[in-house]
Amino acid sequence: MLRVIKVTGESLSPEYQEGDYVVVTTIPFFLNRIRVGDIIVFQQSPYGTMIKRVEQVLQEGKQYFVIGAHPQSVDSRQFGPVSKEALIGKLIWHIPKPSK
Amino acid sequence: MIFEFLEALDKRFGFERASAHCDIPCGIYDPSGAQIAALTVVRMVDLMAELEAKGGEKDKAYQNSMARYVAVKEEHAEKAKAEIRVIWGDYIKPQHIEKHPNVHGLVHQIMMLGSKSRQTADRDTAVQFVDAINQFAEIFWDTKGVKTKRAKAPYSPALEMVYPDL
Repeated sequence: MLRVIKVTGESLSPEYQEGDYVVVTTIPFFLNRIRVGDIIVFQQSPYGTMIKRVEQVLQEGKQYFVIGAHPQSVDSRQFGPVSKEALIGKLIWHIPKPSK
Repeated sequence: MIFEFLEALDKRFGFERASAHCDIPCGIYDPSGAQIAALTVVRMVDLMAELEAKGGEKDKAYQNSMARYVAVKEEHAEKAKAEIRVIWGDYIKPQHIEKHPNVHGLVHQIMMLGSKSRQTADRDTAVQFVDAINQFAEIFWDTKGVKTKRAKAPYSPALEMVYPDL
């Protein structure tokens, strides 16, 4: 239903930084309604669990082209679109690390 | 408050991680970030000593400056440790270990010195932290087939640093 995940890496910075927490929903109702601009968490071999922003929804919602904000982000530009089966959750709450 | 609550839970139970990083496939690794962070630790220890040596009242201005130095020292010691862990964990391969069998021990030493640099304001420890990371930098550049040179950092504290000789 809901999962808490900690962000590692900086590819979505400055909006999402290393150490931030995100809460994602795994409810199919929401996963069936992924839109451009959504932040999704998914499984991508060989990298493991990744978090990226959806840039395009392809194949009538069965695939997502995802990107990071960082120029050196590893995303769909390298590994191609993410399939719906690889989707873990959609971000619904961002808890940023407090600034010092 | 929510963040602190989640941090506490994470320490106890460990939440899943989602990577937004690029270091695994892009191959961009460089120990210079760790070296600069460690040098910053020494600089903060020096600034703390200078402030202490000035004497005078331990007023708000003093407390403010000292707190900032300590915070930056903490942050950079941890940053240096994290940078080394990433290179060691993601980049160093069995063939590198074969050539440099001391790398595991050296990384462990860096972790210990980084922690001690956070716990104390001891300059010798902070300098040893820089030295150990310099040694790691030499190993790293050797795995890349890049020669290194040692030169004094062009800013305070002007400690000797390892640079790639490109």
